Amino acid sequence: MKNDRKMTFLLITIPILALFVCFNTIPLIRGVVYSFTNFRGFGTYDWVGLRNYIDLFSDARVGKSYWFTFKLAVVSTIVTNVISLVLALALNSKIRAKSFFRGAYFLPNVLGALVVGYIFNYFFTYILPALTGTSSILSNPGTAWIGVVVVCAWQAIAMNTIIYISGLQTVPEDVYEAGGLDGATGWKQFRYLTFPLIIPFFSINMVLCVKNFLMVFDQIMALTKGGPAQSTESISYLIYNNGMAGGQFGFQSANAVVFFVVIVVLSVAQMKFSGSKEEQL
Amino acid sequence: MKGNKMKCLGLALCCVMTSLAFSGCASSTDSGKIEIEIVQYKPEAANYFKTVEDEFNATHDNIHLTISSPNDATTILKTRFIREDYPDIIGIGGDINYSYFLDAEILSDISDYPGLQNINSGYVDIAEALEFIPTDGTYIVPYVANAAGILYNREMFQEHGWEIPETWDELNALCESIQAEGILPFYFGFKDIWTCLAPWNSMAVDLSPADTTKQVNRGETTFTAEYRELSEKYMSLLQYGPEDPFAYGYNDACTAFARGESAMYPIGSYAVPQILSVNPDLNIDSFVMPASDTPDGNTLNSGIDLGFCVMADCPNKEAAYEVLDFLLEDSVIQNYIDAQNAVPCKTGDFQLASQLDGMKEYITTGNMTDYQDHYYPSEMSVDAQLQTFLLEKDVDAFLAKFDADWQRYNRDIIRMVQEYENGK
Amino acid sequence: MTESKSIRVWKYVPMIFLILGLITIIFPLYMTIIIAFKQPSEMTNSISGILSLPQSWSLNNFREAMEVTDFWHSLGNSLLISGITIILSLALHSLMGYSLGRNKASSKFYNFVYLFIVSGMFVPFAILMMPIAKQTAEMHLANWFGVVLLYVVFYMPMNVLLYSGYLVNIPMALEEAAKVDGASTWTTYWKIIFPIMKPMHATVAVITALSVWNDVMTPLIVMAGSSQNTLPLAQLNFQSQFGTNYNLAFASYLLALLPILIFYIVCQKQILNGVVNGAVK
Repeated sequence: MKNDRKMTFLLITIPILALFVCFNTIPLIRGVVYSFTNFRGFGTYDWVGLRNYIDLFSDARVGKSYWFTFKLAVVSTIVTNVISLVLALALNSKIRAKSFFRGAYFLPNVLGALVVGYIFNYFFTYILPALTGTSSILSNPGTAWIGVVVVCAWQAIAMNTIIYISGLQTVPEDVYEAGGLDGATGWKQFRYLTFPLIIPFFSINMVLCVKNFLMVFDQIMALTKGGPAQSTESISYLIYNNGMAGGQFGFQSANAVVFFVVIVVLSVAQMKFSGSKEEQL
Repeated sequence: MKGNKMKCLGLALCCVMTSLAFSGCASSTDSGKIEIEIVQYKPEAANYFKTVEDEFNATHDNIHLTISSPNDATTILKTRFIREDYPDIIGIGGDINYSYFLDAEILSDISDYPGLQNINSGYVDIAEALEFIPTDGTYIVPYVANAAGILYNREMFQEHGWEIPETWDELNALCESIQAEGILPFYFGFKDIWTCLAPWNSMAVDLSPADTTKQVNRGETTFTAEYRELSEKYMSLLQYGPEDPFAYGYNDACTAFARGESAMYPIGSYAVPQILSVNPDLNIDSFVMPASDTPDGNTLNSGIDLGFCVMADCPNKEAAYEVLDFLLEDSVIQNYIDAQNAVPCKTGDFQLASQLDGMKEYITTGNMTDYQDHYYPSEMSVDAQLQTFLLEKDVDAFLAKFDADWQRYNRDIIRMVQEYENGK
Repeated sequence: MTESKSIRVWKYVPMIFLILGLITIIFPLYMTIIIAFKQPSEMTNSISGILSLPQSWSLNNFREAMEVTDFWHSLGNSLLISGITIILSLALHSLMGYSLGRNKASSKFYNFVYLFIVSGMFVPFAILMMPIAKQTAEMHLANWFGVVLLYVVFYMPMNVLLYSGYLVNIPMALEEAAKVDGASTWTTYWKIIFPIMKPMHATVAVITALSVWNDVMTPLIVMAGSSQNTLPLAQLNFQSQFGTNYNLAFASYLLALLPILIFYIVCQKQILNGVVNGAVK
């Protein structure tokens, strides 16, 4: 009986793992190999040793893109999670037309990047300045990132809200009833009763957000194409634009490898952190 | 429950297998004809190439031609190159990608192609100049060119009696008088960074040597020396544009110009269809960017917009040449020019679009110089650096960074060029 | 009296909040719809111009958009790819999530596999592009099935994370009860665990479907050179550097939006009902 269980797990794990290795790990290793060359993406290439990695650390553009990406990821993650949690609480309360709202709030996720880019460009270029009397935030290198945050959050909130809603559904009614007797209402009820119970969903959303925002690409392409003054070049954008569209495949592969290592280290740290938090509560 | 689930899975797997089998079958077509495949990079000309394909196949029994005009063709070509799935002929622009492909030795020498005799030698020279290291052969048939300068609203100019400027001072004077009438002289769409290159290129041909980048690669000069006047003049154009040019994109600028919000728009002939789509009645003409202080110092900024290269891998060059012959027939080229407002690279009597009236003289006399940005590696993002420069208005910092970045991004090419020079 | 009044007021707060949020969705949607009906010659840069209704509500843009994208054919390809990807993802990723989720705490091997796969989430796609283009061609997978396999691998990290996270909530006791009845691990999984994870299936299906539906890059590099198109690939025809026909593009995006929206609405019910019926806690 015990053996059957072990065998079954092995039989499940090994083939799927093999598939994963075949289409993720092996290409990745090939990519890592290219990071030691001056490969342009086609034709012949030379080995350049560690030159790409050394260059990476002296390239101000790469440094700038890291700063921008992490700033964007942190701010967008906070904004998205706060808003979607509030939305989820609202959508979970006893209101009319719940299904309608749930459907409507899903829309931002489905609109294509071209549409989102056009509409938000229009909004930031013409409508917002007309309303506030200021100049477009996308034309100023100091503020353009805020525009990207708005679009990222606007798109991501839908998914996060759905996940929070499914989390809230798992909270049994009697918890609130018991809490109500103890006088826990409003913020207190949320802080001490609801939130601890939906922590797993909170973690899922954190991971989703961090993943999506660190790898941000579509929104940049649609909204700013890295401008103005290269102030909104995300790491993924740089890797794609210079590696695939440009002739820097080798160098950008090195960039991708470093980026990957940085994120893995960070997420292991995050998992450890949120894992220990879960146990605490 | 379990039975159902397993059935679903099984059904799905069956579907997968059968459709896999079908897709395997569909890909093998065999008609006994020679297959020639062209991939060309201008999706906006897709309809034109569809007709060409149909006409060719209707008139040729021995060859079957397929032309695809995918979007993002450069990515598609690169991914196809890496899996060694080469088309027979590629249609690309005469820019740094051509230089890269040539350097990668995937293009075939077509100097034995007779049709080359009829190509305007100016464009053959432009193509030769794109080679990192001079070669003996010819690798591209220049097909059509585009031209960049300043588009203007002909009606508005006639109404106010404005003259076409021929020197830098005249251009400034013109802008002053346009502004005095409360009209915006220029529109810019600098939010889309690539548009920053348009005025830059058309001024650069007047103000710095055509082979600036090559001179730098050989270590003979620096951009700081060659581009200073150009940068300063470019910066001064900003005062004649909209208040915050970085807020608007290419599309906004085209729309604004089409709606008569500005008298001129410094961009290439390729923008005409987009402008006309907004306002089909607009009477547009163009003139050469007069960046030089003397009328003789000006030259038209024109480069190969589309040229055809036969791949080294192509098994049947004869057939490929037959296709090229067809593409180079006068009536076929004329159709392209009409559809795309292009300039033909072939010599002969072609009818140019009216929007190019002001540039005709330069085209017929062959007074043309290639875009400087055709030599810039795209990963250096000169367009973004120009945008930064126009925002920060610091000529020295811009030029210093240009020189430093150039050395960084072109390291391997510079080494190659210098090895070649030393070995000569 | 006053207390019940304040409660009644509080009842409307979520509603007001939701309606405010709704404006940020309705407004872009309104712009999308009117632009989809307008002609290029109706486009202006003035705010009143862009927000005005189209001159006529003709369906010509939609008809032309369907023609340009070869709509039914592309839609078929997109549906096929998305559908099979979702079925395979639900089957394989839930199995993998189960296998890893149940064993990672006790076995170093499974824990390693888990971290290995989850970290795949952060491999920038750009580094994989070239090697994958090459590899799929070598394996004769440069067709839609290759795209499906790649999707199954690409979304594995996120989905495994979701499934194994959800499993924490499913008590072992359920499985042990089945075991007492003599069911094997494999049967227990399909009979008990798989149905219980229904809300998660719906969530995974929505997340996966969304990513697949809008993805351009994978089919672009894998199917390049074949005449097969997915909807997003076909939609690329509307935009080029020198000119974009927003009116046709928006019409086409609106058409592409419908299937995925319907799919979401169906799944959405599953997410919510499932949690209640599954009686996880």
